[in-house]
Amino acid sequence: MKGKDLINIGIFSAIYFVVVMVFAMLGFIPVFMPLLAVLVPIAGGIPFMLFLTKVKKFGMILIMSIIMGIMMILTGMGFFTVIVSAVTGLCAELVYRSGQYKSASKAVLTHGVFGMWLWGNYLPLFFMADKYWSTRKDFGQDYIDALTKLMPMWMCPVLLVTAFVCGIIGGLLGKAVMKKHFVKAGIV
Amino acid sequence: MIKLDPRTKLLLLLAEAVIVLGGLGGGNAEPFKTVFMALPFLLLLTVKKYRTAVIGAVLLGLGLAAGHIPTEGRGAIVLLMCSGILTRFVPSLMMGNYVMSSTRVSEFTAAMERMHVTPKITIPMAVMFRFFPTVKEECSAIGEAMKMRDIRLGGSKVMQMAEYRLVPMMTCSVKIGEELSAAALTRGLGSPVKRTNVCRIGFRAADIAMFLLCAAALVWIIWRSVT
Repeated sequence: MKGKDLINIGIFSAIYFVVVMVFAMLGFIPVFMPLLAVLVPIAGGIPFMLFLTKVKKFGMILIMSIIMGIMMILTGMGFFTVIVSAVTGLCAELVYRSGQYKSASKAVLTHGVFGMWLWGNYLPLFFMADKYWSTRKDFGQDYIDALTKLMPMWMCPVLLVTAFVCGIIGGLLGKAVMKKHFVKAGIV
Repeated sequence: MIKLDPRTKLLLLLAEAVIVLGGLGGGNAEPFKTVFMALPFLLLLTVKKYRTAVIGAVLLGLGLAAGHIPTEGRGAIVLLMCSGILTRFVPSLMMGNYVMSSTRVSEFTAAMERMHVTPKITIPMAVMFRFFPTVKEECSAIGEAMKMRDIRLGGSKVMQMAEYRLVPMMTCSVKIGEELSAAALTRGLGSPVKRTNVCRIGFRAADIAMFLLCAAALVWIIWRSVT
């Protein structure tokens, strides 16, 4: 990896993070919390597919994924995400590499795998529920009740699958947008 | 004038994220939670960002006040949520604002190098933090352009609105990014030699005080939770 690749990672991480954060703010409305696993991977598809056109070397996707994990620590989402994102990032990297860093269908699949990092944010809700809620008492008991009802244990694997499927949808969306706009604008 | 080391700032950002935003220890964190809520405002004053500090203080005050209004039923949920969001996010946002506005990229790189973080992580992160203001600027420019042509957020056209905002933002960002990387490469980024740095960073009395504060908060929370 050279300097230019590292700068590209930084630029696309910034764009991706901004897009993710805009949608993540909706998570305060209880109904939207599980829905984030749908919205974020779909919306993230557009910047990520554009990013993949710049990926030519091993490690770029992994680094972006780890940076997302670090950003989640800094925004108070807990330490699970960085572990999950390192694993999913590596898997996404391997998927895209198996397509020689240019296969379009593998790119869609890559985004599906990459989008699963988001799942790490939900883990404390399931595995450390008591501790998680004890730190969020100030939102009020009604908010806690509403969310606990929305998040039974079986939701945990469901969310992972949802993130993957929506990641694929997001990837297809990103591909369509790229074809419609970015190829025309000459930035791919 | 207090000048903190970038590493101290990172620690404070983390402490803010864990104690105020993450709510570690719940009620056990008092009185340190209050200290960490007030700290970013004091730090903003040291770098003369009075306007940001005042706006943040007003928002935080509103959030704290909203938590104490006695209401019943549905209104109470909304009020508590608003209060929760404001009291959680405002201090961390202020701390982030302080760190971003008082640290130069060069200082950040120097600090990361001292911590032996690989440049493969440092460079993208430095670029990313440098790029957030650019993204924000582009977004507001696009918003103005749309306002000028009288294109407003229509309720039924959410997807289209997202497309019309996202696509130009990304096009601009990619172009700017290319220029940025050309500029950085001509200045020798990514060359195989070891990078030198003119920024003098190091721990001073203020840094030690901040470290002690964070350590004290941690010990206090653990002690209160155990007993």
